[in-house]
Amino acid sequence: MLEQANRVKYLILKEAYLEWRNKSVLASMLLYVIGATFIVYYAFEGRIEFQSWTAIFWVIVLFSVINIVGKTFEKEVNQQYYYIRGLVSPIELILSKLFYNAFLVFFFELIVYVEMTIFFGIQIQDSSYFLLVLFLGGIGFSNLFTLFSTITARLNNIVVLPVLGFPIILPLLILVLRLTNISNIEVDFDEKMINIGAMLLLDTITFILSIILFPYLWSE
Amino acid sequence: MTYEKFTTQIWWKAITIVLLFYTCIYGFIVKVPDLPILEQSIRNLFFHVPMWFAMMLLMMINLFFSIKYLSSNSQRNDVIAEKSALIGLLFGFLGLATGSVWAKVTWGAWWVFAEVKLNATAAAVLVYCAYFILRSSFSDSEMKAKFSGVYSIFAFVMFMVFINIIPRVSGSSLHPGNGGNPGFNSYDLDNNLRKVFYPAVIAWIGLGLWLSSLLVRIQFVKRKLDSID
Repeated sequence: MLEQANRVKYLILKEAYLEWRNKSVLASMLLYVIGATFIVYYAFEGRIEFQSWTAIFWVIVLFSVINIVGKTFEKEVNQQYYYIRGLVSPIELILSKLFYNAFLVFFFELIVYVEMTIFFGIQIQDSSYFLLVLFLGGIGFSNLFTLFSTITARLNNIVVLPVLGFPIILPLLILVLRLTNISNIEVDFDEKMINIGAMLLLDTITFILSIILFPYLWSE
Repeated sequence: MTYEKFTTQIWWKAITIVLLFYTCIYGFIVKVPDLPILEQSIRNLFFHVPMWFAMMLLMMINLFFSIKYLSSNSQRNDVIAEKSALIGLLFGFLGLATGSVWAKVTWGAWWVFAEVKLNATAAAVLVYCAYFILRSSFSDSEMKAKFSGVYSIFAFVMFMVFINIIPRVSGSSLHPGNGGNPGFNSYDLDNNLRKVFYPAVIAWIGLGLWLSSLLVRIQFVKRKLDSID
């Protein structure tokens, strides 16, 4: 057990190390996010209502997530397949990818959030609650798209990813939009926690499904 | 009983035909309760609702055989899963169409945003369209079966979550019987309606099974021919 945990840790470190060494990917993603927010800022001429803010925020996040997570298995499936397969079990691999992607998605969500706040002023009243929403939502997004990115890596076609992912992400997206609304209005504590609970449930379901189903996609 | 054995039997097809005629003829002459707003449109109960049941059942068959494929790797299971989903999708479109016509009469619009169930089913239909796009983008049949099997298992679970959890958290639905709307709760689904509704459910489910089993058999024959050549 400890040995496996160790291997997962090293896989995550490897991922981070490779990402850091080849900064152009990270930098281009950063620029993508900044560019998208800037376009929105210009299109709305700096004034925005809360509902549009929510919609735009999550659309930007969704599209960046597709670009970030979509190339997760590019190397593993094509060049390093036999090498990786000999070293680690599929469950260790998917665990490391899920953790790493969740972290990465959360990081980019934070960047979009900070930027939208700089451009449009403070829109969210209960920011600590919203950060929790961002974190849990990011986990859900990354769980779902990480699994599907295996399929697109095999197909060598990233265009299929939104086609596969968008209809399935809808329940998650609806919940996340609700939670964003809740973090801006006064509701009682129970209401807040019920919705967080639903989010946690969805995260758990997608997590378990990814872990169960990934070995089938990974085997040849 | 295996799938093949069941689908080549005649008795349930005969029942399906009889009940379909019964539904389509008696469904229009049976005396229905006089409810406000719904009025005569209540007869849609014999068409719209059973179509969803048929779709759900076919998608469950798809799920079952997808799981079976992943554990056994036999192409037969994949063929059954695919064709069931195809007919399930057809029933999904039919359900959306009958629902939309009905909504125009009672709610005054073809499509209503506030309705959770509508959006959920639209998403479900999209998911299964994506399932077929995924299938068509693989040329290798083993990989196609494996990947689409995984996709449909994932899709089904999320879809279940969508229609069972989200409406509960987010509250209201406009459908009859929800949130104080007049409808067919167990209280006011009267005996006349029941006499047609239950046979109609069996009839539409039977039709769905029959159609999909025909497609499955065509596919089996095609593959046999291919292997002879």
